[in-house]
Amino acid sequence: MDPSTLDGGEIARLCILAVNLIIWTGLFLYLLRLSKKVRAVEQAAPEADHEP
Amino acid sequence: MKTLLAWILWLWIALVIVGALWWAPPLPGFQAGPDSSRIVYFHVPMAWTSFVAFLAAGVFSALYLKRREPRRDAAATAAVQLGLAFGLLALVSGMIWAKIEWGEFWNFDPRQTTIVLALLFYTAYLVLRLAVADHETRRRLAAGYAVFGLVVAPFLFFVAPRVLGASLHPEPVINAERELKMDPAVLWVLLSGSAAFTALFFWMHSLQCRLAAIARRNGLEA
Repeated sequence: MDPSTLDGGEIARLCILAVNLIIWTGLFLYLLRLSKKVRAVEQAAPEADHEP
Repeated sequence: MKTLLAWILWLWIALVIVGALWWAPPLPGFQAGPDSSRIVYFHVPMAWTSFVAFLAAGVFSALYLKRREPRRDAAATAAVQLGLAFGLLALVSGMIWAKIEWGEFWNFDPRQTTIVLALLFYTAYLVLRLAVADHETRRRLAAGYAVFGLVVAPFLFFVAPRVLGASLHPEPVINAERELKMDPAVLWVLLSGSAAFTALFFWMHSLQCRLAAIARRNGLEA
């Protein structure tokens, strides 16, 4: 893809795409961090029945 | 292993986003400009995931009524909470699209109305839980309500919108003649997006169940 051939609409779409990817990556990083914290608490008291 | 699965899911959703916003063609037949239709690639999977969550709540509740294990009740509650979150996102994204395409945020379209009724039905589930003090009674009543939801949710999501008559919405993925009239790229993004959002729901649900188990262990049960 040659950036010099992109029109205004395509540049706007690329920006929206980048913002979406950043937001979703942020959500995933948050969930991964939460998952690690939960695992740490579970390992501190492994008798919990956490599976639904 | 779980971290690897999470990153595979991230890659999957990233590919869906690239597919939705760049690769797949815009849907034909929309007056407000072809790119406005791309919201469908998020709106439909979110509505689908909301439906899956409400069904999961019913199944976990039925399991609770059978085995009387508090973790099943907690799983049902988590599913309802996540179903409401996904349903609200579907509703809001649909209203934004409605404003762009149809000129008004709210049009009393059958699908708009029935998804609001479904959200109210499951909000009432959470209110019911708050209204009963005794743990065992609350779990039993809430489970019965969510099992009733196994009939209500399919009716509100799939039957009522068709019975209520003409809709401003485009045809569903599989139309009344049970045919797929879609560009393969559009269909691929819609289906893989729905599958990815469903996987994301189950991951978030598992996290919420583990948090609820920790809360139970520490005597902080809601």
